[in-house]
Amino acid sequence: MTDNDSGLNDLFQKYRAACPEVEPGANFMPGIWQRIESRHSFRFAFQQIARPLMAGSAALVLLLVLLSIVSNEHARLTAPSYVDALIAEHTAEKTYYTEAIRSTPPSGEQMDQR
Amino acid sequence: MFIKSRQDPVLKSRVMLVERETIEKARAGDAAAFNQVVLAYRKRILGTVSRLIGRPEDVEDVAQEVFVRLYYSLDQLRTPEVFEPWLYRLTVNASYDYLRRAKRRSESRMADLSEQQVMMADSLAGGRQEDEERQKSQTREFMDALFRHVSEEDRLLLTLKEVEGLSLKELEKVYGVNENALKVRLFRARQRVLKAYERAVANGSF
Repeated sequence: MTDNDSGLNDLFQKYRAACPEVEPGANFMPGIWQRIESRHSFRFAFQQIARPLMAGSAALVLLLVLLSIVSNEHARLTAPSYVDALIAEHTAEKTYYTEAIRSTPPSGEQMDQR
Repeated sequence: MFIKSRQDPVLKSRVMLVERETIEKARAGDAAAFNQVVLAYRKRILGTVSRLIGRPEDVEDVAQEVFVRLYYSLDQLRTPEVFEPWLYRLTVNASYDYLRRAKRRSESRMADLSEQQVMMADSLAGGRQEDEERQKSQTREFMDALFRHVSEEDRLLLTLKEVEGLSLKELEKVYGVNENALKVRLFRARQRVLKAYERAVANGSF
């Protein structure tokens, strides 16, 4: 440890001694309780407002969750299955070809009839 | 009434000023027990706050704030054994909040303060007492000037270690930070203060 190090240590000790001893005033304890009471009343007022707000938002969240469950269930029941989709697609293809044949008969057939 | 904390070897050097049961009762909401805690610790906290903030006129206000915070946070205290580090943590936080607020205020307040100090010094009667008070005032001013070379956080940490005499283990509990991290931070802060001290000694300003 250098001289300056020990000098600084001494200075810290002197500083401790130089700081004035603060005696608590007569109003120290009542002051604490006054602050506690005022914060209590602020907390109480805040709770009075916050509680209905909390209850309202909780109810809203619950309602939204229920609605989303119901709509999901409805969508699941009405949605076509994979097999349904395949059948529907296959039928559409068949119809297309059938109609295509019917609507445009080959020109050779018409010539024979004549 | 005064008991030593036996379960925690860290706090061997420091005595707990209230019994474990009193803290338990205060934690449960017993106002009389809380009053007992305040009565036991108010002087210690006033002293610590005084050394941390360095402005005598606001010490009582900050100390009251510490106890109000204690009242509202006692239910978060895990065990009565960690009560003192907890109280120190609240003290450091309240002092730091005060210093931040005070920093925002203008320099004019500082000028008022020094005027007040001068007036107080002037009003002291007797040559010897006046001399002693002047020396003390010089020491405080010099130390405050040295502390200006570190941040407010480091100033508080350094004060707790070097002036309040808290051990590294105690500081670890107060700050909830790893001891090695604290060591590094303390070393750097002390080095800065030491350099400023060396310069001041070399210049003959102290």
